[in-house]
Amino acid sequence: MAQIELKALQKAWDDAVAVQDMNLTIQDGEFVAILGPSGCGKSTTLLMLAGLYLPTGGDILFDGTRVNEVEARHRNVGIVFQSYALYPNMSVLQNILFPTRSQQTPDAEKRAREMAEMVQINQLLERRPSQLSGGQQQRVALARALIKRPNLLLLDEPLSNLDATLRLTMRAEIRRITRDLGVTTILVTHDQLEATTMADRVVCMNAGRIEQIGRAEDLYLRPDTLFVAGFIGSPPMNLISLPHPLIEVPSIARTFGLRPEALRPAETGLPAQVTHFEPMGREVLTTVQTPLGLLRFLEAGTQPRWQVGDSLHLTHARDDAILFDGTGARIPNATALMTEQGYA
Amino acid sequence: MKATRQRFDAFLFLGPAVVLMLAFFVAPIVVNILVAFSDMNQTVRFEEFPTTKQFNKLGKLDPEAFWGIELRGSFYRALALTASFVLLTLIIFNVSFALILALTTTAVPERMGAVFRAIWLLPRMSPSVVYALLWLWVVDSAERGLLNQVWLLFASEPLNLRLDHPMAVIVVANGLIGASLGMIIFTSAIRSIPEHLFNAARVDGAGPLSIVRHVILPALRWPISYITIYQALALLVSFEYIFLIMGPARSTMTMAMLSYTKTLAPGIGGGQYAYGASIALILIVVGIAVALLMWRLINMKSLLQRPRIEVN
Amino acid sequence: MVDWVKLAQRSRLGRRLRLGALSVFLVAVSIPIAVPYIWMVMIAFTARRGMAETGTLWPALLVILVGLGIYGAAMLWLRRERLAIVMGVLTAFLLGLILLGQDLHLQNFRFMVNANIIDDLDGQGTVGERYPWVWEAFANSLLLASTQTVIVVTVSTLAAYYLSRFSFRGRNTFLQSLLVLQAFPAITLVIPIFLIVFWVGLLNTLYAPILVLTALELPFFIFIMKGFFDAVPWDIEMSAMTDGASRREAFWMVVLPQVRVGMIAIGVFAFIKGWEEYVFVNGLRTGESYWVMSTYLYYVREDVMGVDYGMVAAVAVLYVLPALILYLFCQKYLTQMTLGGVKG
Repeated sequence: MAQIELKALQKAWDDAVAVQDMNLTIQDGEFVAILGPSGCGKSTTLLMLAGLYLPTGGDILFDGTRVNEVEARHRNVGIVFQSYALYPNMSVLQNILFPTRSQQTPDAEKRAREMAEMVQINQLLERRPSQLSGGQQQRVALARALIKRPNLLLLDEPLSNLDATLRLTMRAEIRRITRDLGVTTILVTHDQLEATTMADRVVCMNAGRIEQIGRAEDLYLRPDTLFVAGFIGSPPMNLISLPHPLIEVPSIARTFGLRPEALRPAETGLPAQVTHFEPMGREVLTTVQTPLGLLRFLEAGTQPRWQVGDSLHLTHARDDAILFDGTGARIPNATALMTEQGYA
Repeated sequence: MKATRQRFDAFLFLGPAVVLMLAFFVAPIVVNILVAFSDMNQTVRFEEFPTTKQFNKLGKLDPEAFWGIELRGSFYRALALTASFVLLTLIIFNVSFALILALTTTAVPERMGAVFRAIWLLPRMSPSVVYALLWLWVVDSAERGLLNQVWLLFASEPLNLRLDHPMAVIVVANGLIGASLGMIIFTSAIRSIPEHLFNAARVDGAGPLSIVRHVILPALRWPISYITIYQALALLVSFEYIFLIMGPARSTMTMAMLSYTKTLAPGIGGGQYAYGASIALILIVVGIAVALLMWRLINMKSLLQRPRIEVN
Repeated sequence: MVDWVKLAQRSRLGRRLRLGALSVFLVAVSIPIAVPYIWMVMIAFTARRGMAETGTLWPALLVILVGLGIYGAAMLWLRRERLAIVMGVLTAFLLGLILLGQDLHLQNFRFMVNANIIDDLDGQGTVGERYPWVWEAFANSLLLASTQTVIVVTVSTLAAYYLSRFSFRGRNTFLQSLLVLQAFPAITLVIPIFLIVFWVGLLNTLYAPILVLTALELPFFIFIMKGFFDAVPWDIEMSAMTDGASRREAFWMVVLPQVRVGMIAIGVFAFIKGWEEYVFVNGLRTGESYWVMSTYLYYVREDVMGVDYGMVAAVAVLYVLPALILYLFCQKYLTQMTLGGVKG
């Protein structure tokens, strides 16, 4: 187990910069998710942590020691890939035992069986990877990553190849195992639900930079940047470019954001016309045409309350509005409201 | 220390290949160019270097002539024979017939198609001397020749193909081998067409022929260009089967044959190394040009894809 | 009204007609290929007076056709593969015994036990004692083909791995030059290769064809192998390295087992090429310093043809057999090769 620190970490290719000025401290035993769209540099970061890519700037520290040039095999990290990357020419047991090869511990096989039990594949030890289902392969990969008691467990989109039900099970399973073992874990994912449900803290990345670090609700309720506001939340936040005559705001604000659940139908307010609705289980997402453009709002209920073409009015609480300046940074403590004029 | 190991790795992995190719592939190209401009013969010594003597044997500059060069009779003949040999074999067998074989063997049940493809690969897999031997027996001018045994059922005079239709003999002999390469490449290209495309075409009312025309042929565009260029080059320089079947007959003395028989051919090889090398040089220049042309058919991006592990 | 029954009948009939026409076509074009080979075998096993007779060819074809017919009929009516094979082979065997039984003999293969083939030719031989025992040529061919195979597989696998997996300065240039060499018609180089081999003193040794054939095949085989290496997922190698393997161990234990098919495929190709080589073997020796099967058959054909066809055919059968057996057994590996990098 280890405390991980990234200091001004940078990775540049000949023609592009994949990661720049990345600063992050991960506590011993913490579960951190790196979340971002594809190509944002999250996998590059992961491969640098594993020791497979060499940083072009900055430092990686394990428990305060600089490990930039330490090779992957000496870092004692475990890794699970999206494709699971099991060795097809070895049995499940051989796969799990592979990382212990150099240590020659007599109880390696006993420990492998314990690991197999923990991830519930002890019936499959003699099989070949090709004879396993996706979920089973995933468990083998996890057991293999954990057998050498790694300082750091790296998970690279580990659930993307599983179907929805299995994903739910494995989310809980992985969380339970990492908590039991107390292993420091970094999860790389583009799926915000995965990040927010599993991680203690979420690091949101875009275009090679960290946009925000925080707990899931921080990212949702108080996004530091316009990117985080747009990326986190499903359905996404309504974003309106400013200035706009119908919205009364501080003059530095350039974007006005409002979560779909913050908008609600009212007697008076912004006039709107329903163009589309999507029942989403216990909620209904309704899209409306307004003088501010298309907006979306969420209402509780299993049945749509409106029909396409219905006219209604929308309002919101002044505090729910989130404002961003011209650089995309959030303006703290600012409030805004669609103006009186809009209530006409 | 790290750099040392990197260098050692490169040496270990690439070294043997580089050394072998430099010694017996790249060096011969250079040597061939040098020899072509000398007057090397039996003595195997560089004499009169540099000289264009050898090329003067092929043709001489003549402002009156078409393209400014007047070719010597024997070389002109070789050029014409090469052109008709390459074109006929390529068009009839290596592309068209290969395509027909690929289409028909993929249209019948899988196992049956595989059997016919295996039969067509037989000539390619059997040693060239054996294949040539079979040809000699089949086209034997006496009545015992296999072809004549069938022919004499309908005619009274036996055929002497090697004497009367030498071009036909070498075209068919090379073509039966050449067709199998195209057949294999086209077959695997047809296989890799997604099944749903065929299904969609069938649902849309396409018959077998319009499936061939609208689904299969478009998918074979790259393989066909590749085979055409690759085989044109292979035929241009090939002399092994011609020599083994026809011997040094003048009727089939293509450029590659001329180069070979003037130097190394067993029994008759004259050891005129410089002369042979000068003809080979022409073929080499054409070869490099065509090889460069083939770059266009290669997916450079995937070929040059950057490695993804940075530590060694 | 659409008459569905009639429509179905018509399309079934069309399918059968098409299959029938295609079969007839394929049989017709394949006969000219297959019959000479059958003839060669028949001459080798039946020729008595040294003549190339077709007396036994036609009954042999009849036997094969009847056997195939029985097999086809059994497949059509009984639809049981193994039974059909047994029935076809059995019928062919019995019929063959009846029609050809007394013609078959092994006299033409006496050169396999007689060191001096010229002694007891049918008819008069005037060629002197130039020929070694056939097994000497056979052993040389075997040595040439197998040594060459081992070298070319090893060298091209190593090089292809390095080219596929490592970045180094000049990699792109190297690959592009290799591409030119790969398409280059190597046979045009027979003259300068002869000169080089002469200058370095390897003329009239078996090393010369071994090294030359290896070098000329390398560019092509390196590309084939690079294709196989490129297809091995990076994740697996990365896993192995974080699991404690060095780059070389990862290559040996994890990557190499996955390109086994490629190595077998190029191995079979290289062996068949070395086994059949004529031009470079004949061109790189002067006089009769060493014999291999191709030169042996070539000169036997030159000298003995017209005197003893039976023996020539028997030598050819002995020569062609190893290559064909290898080809038949390894066919499934060969079909997995793709032309490296050709656009699909």
